[in-house]
Amino acid sequence: MLKKDLILRNPAVQILGKDSLFQGRFGAVLSRAGVGKTRFLVQIALVKLLEDEQVLHVSLSDQMEKINVRYNEGFSDLVDSIGYVDPAKASEAWDDISHNKVAISYNESTFDSSKIRDYLNSFTGTDLEIPKALVVDGLNFDTDITNTLTELEEIAQEFNLFIWFSMQIHREEAFCDDGFPIQLENHKDRFDKAILLLPVENKIQATILKDGDKTSQEFLLDPSSVMPV
Amino acid sequence: MLRDLQKVRNIGISAHIDSGKTTLTERILFYTDRIHKINEVRGKEGSGAYMDSMELEKERGITIASAATHCEWDQNAVNIIDTPGHVDFTVEVERSLRVLDGVILVLCSVSGVQSQSITVDQQMKRYEVPCIAFVNKCDRSGANPERVKDQLREKLGHNAVLLQIPIGLEEKHEGMVDLVSMKAYFFEGDSGQEVVEKDIPPEVMDDAQAAREIMLDEVSLFSDELTEAVLEETEITEEMIMEAVRTGTISRQLTPVFLGSAYKNKGVQPLLDAVIQYLPSPLDIENEALDLDKEEESVILESDFDKPTVALAFKLEDGQYGQLTYIRVYQGCINKGDTLINTRDGKKIKAGRLIRMHSSEMEDVEAIPAGHIGAMFGVDCASGDTFVNPGINYTMMPMHVMEPVISLSLSPADNKSQINMSKALNRFTKEDPTFKTYVDKETGETIIQGMGELHLEVYVERMKREYQAQVSTGQPIVAYRETITQKAVFNYTHKKQTGGAGQFGRVAGFIEPCDEEFEFVNKITGGRIPTQYIPACEQGFSNSMDKGPKLEFPVTGIKVTIDDGAFHAVDSSEMAFKSAARGAFLEAYAKAKPVIKEPIMKVVIETPNEFQGACMGLINQRRGIIQGSQEEGVMSVIESFVPLSEMFGFSTVLRSGTQGKAQYTMEFNSYKQVPQSVADEIMKKKLEEKNQSK
Repeated sequence: MLKKDLILRNPAVQILGKDSLFQGRFGAVLSRAGVGKTRFLVQIALVKLLEDEQVLHVSLSDQMEKINVRYNEGFSDLVDSIGYVDPAKASEAWDDISHNKVAISYNESTFDSSKIRDYLNSFTGTDLEIPKALVVDGLNFDTDITNTLTELEEIAQEFNLFIWFSMQIHREEAFCDDGFPIQLENHKDRFDKAILLLPVENKIQATILKDGDKTSQEFLLDPSSVMPV
Repeated sequence: MLRDLQKVRNIGISAHIDSGKTTLTERILFYTDRIHKINEVRGKEGSGAYMDSMELEKERGITIASAATHCEWDQNAVNIIDTPGHVDFTVEVERSLRVLDGVILVLCSVSGVQSQSITVDQQMKRYEVPCIAFVNKCDRSGANPERVKDQLREKLGHNAVLLQIPIGLEEKHEGMVDLVSMKAYFFEGDSGQEVVEKDIPPEVMDDAQAAREIMLDEVSLFSDELTEAVLEETEITEEMIMEAVRTGTISRQLTPVFLGSAYKNKGVQPLLDAVIQYLPSPLDIENEALDLDKEEESVILESDFDKPTVALAFKLEDGQYGQLTYIRVYQGCINKGDTLINTRDGKKIKAGRLIRMHSSEMEDVEAIPAGHIGAMFGVDCASGDTFVNPGINYTMMPMHVMEPVISLSLSPADNKSQINMSKALNRFTKEDPTFKTYVDKETGETIIQGMGELHLEVYVERMKREYQAQVSTGQPIVAYRETITQKAVFNYTHKKQTGGAGQFGRVAGFIEPCDEEFEFVNKITGGRIPTQYIPACEQGFSNSMDKGPKLEFPVTGIKVTIDDGAFHAVDSSEMAFKSAARGAFLEAYAKAKPVIKEPIMKVVIETPNEFQGACMGLINQRRGIIQGSQEEGVMSVIESFVPLSEMFGFSTVLRSGTQGKAQYTMEFNSYKQVPQSVADEIMKKKLEEKNQSK
């Protein structure tokens, strides 16, 4: 019951809708540094975890412990958004879902998508469930990553999983004519979902850049928790 | 023994396996003139390190038992305990930390903060032991002391501050800059015994100045005088900095970080200086005991030689002259011939031969005063016992001891081996509280229990070598537990009339899951069960938990509440209510959805990056849950939770899967319910065993 409530409260579900969140292959959360990309990605991943499915979180910037802390904080933010929740029940739900997440921290300079393939292949011949969603945080979209994205697309196809990326944009760069930052513009055909987070006064404005008929819808989020205001 | 306690340090050297603790201890003994030749842990001539006195330790190149030694540095007395790094022997670390005043936390400059460093850190926190860190192996490829300092901050939450920076790293590691004196130190002579102080080389001057700024920033928080000097830009003396570092370290709010390479004889002497300058003397530490005559009221012990003696036996060893009992004296003084009382059993003992240990050698002493570590011969006691002078009844706080998770059956080859095995087991169980033994009533086999495969393997080997007990071992057995998952009521009447006095007792109530091992709640009102039979009811329930009705594993996590019952004026007895409780337990247990729980181990693998995927595969194949993985340079660390039953023989599999390049550590984490398919397997196996024994 609590899990269902938490899914309904989830900011990603409130913005994109639960069914839409993992439809397609690739999704991106875009923002400048420090606005809340990773926090929002964690909320997206929590939806899968709360559905008792596996999530693989790959970070090229955070250490493993930090990733785990971010999930813990994300879950607490979600619980707090409900108001009062029996701490024992919240803790039970966390114990129940937290082991469905695997955090892997790779060196950015030596990252290679084959490492993810190796990990997913390690499930072969076991009774374990393969992750249903992959979060890739910290991939540098300012460099040419066409090959990496192609390989990741193949992985998504082969293992039937959805990949959410963080995409860092820069203050000084103007948006392209279609309203996309250059980092997304370069690979826009690969992405089925895209959300832009921008600081507006003391809030975060989340704008749907890509998601069929929801495109251009805007929402305001609390900067400390990324919960809808 | 030195009576000026300001000049005494009781320190331990702790770290992850293979970080170089024993190598460092060896160098310390060499530079303090306690030994005249350095022996390496895995020496070519097979001599092994001096501190690894046990034959097995020399062979395997690991420390199994904590070794105590004593040395002198700059007119200070330093008692050192070198502790094992392997988690299976963690109780050795636990009991050493219990009696130490400070610790040198040794970290590998390549691997950084590893799993056992985390365990040791938790133990240090438990006993509030201050520490300084030594980043060892700076000569190794991939050495990065700055990163290790950052890990101390991030992974362990220490306020770690570099007090030295390296002059060169990896094969170019030459020495270090001391940021307090702003001097460079180099180590010359065949064994690095000559410490040469020089001006800071120009190529590291900028780094040194920047690092000193950072250090002063952190350290000044512990001294107003230093803060003032920094702010007003007046002269900052070495004494000011050292005093601030000492204050921060003793209050556990600062961890000064030193560096070097013990193997290459670099950085050990400055580390010894740091031990004296920054780690506490016995006078700086507050120790507490409990006064058993005043309802365990807390008493602060004073390092006063004239006060009544309070000493703790923290380790036992079977020496050639009988039992050797290691003690730390907290108050008063133990003199040869003194009468002491063991507060656990009230028995009087006479302090006969008193000694100061130096690995396997010993020096006779006349007295062991407060603040010192020593040993007594010929005293019959158990590890953790408190000795006091007649007239007081104090006990030291007990140590944290974990329950064993793995067992092994033993079969002696002949009668002589049987006798020797008994002697050995009697000794080992006294020495090590995590090592237990019992005889299985059904099979008649002797079962030993411990913290891991290596733990038991070492004891079996010691049995053979030290006691000539030829024993063969069975397959390792996992310590499964049974528990219930829901509430269930009981209402059981025990009635027997077989001539003579009958037996009658009725108990009613319910059982439910709980976090404690066993809880008993009496809610009987109106004398339905007379008060004198309540303890019998509790015992009846408690005894039922020894062997679960489901699969005969011990039952844990049950709260029993009795709220109704009946008795008979003639036929009721303690025996009758014990039997009623047993019957009630069986009745309710079946309805309470019992399940089997298994020990889950935290397994940390360190592997070259290219084998990361393969190692994850090995974990996945073992019902393991990977918590995460971290690339650190060329190595990856994989953290996971794996059922103990799946870990047997893992070292061989890991070796072959990674060309021998990966290593792992494993420690008990928790008990978790086994999946149904596995529970069915266990049940099947148990049934087969039962049929076979019939």
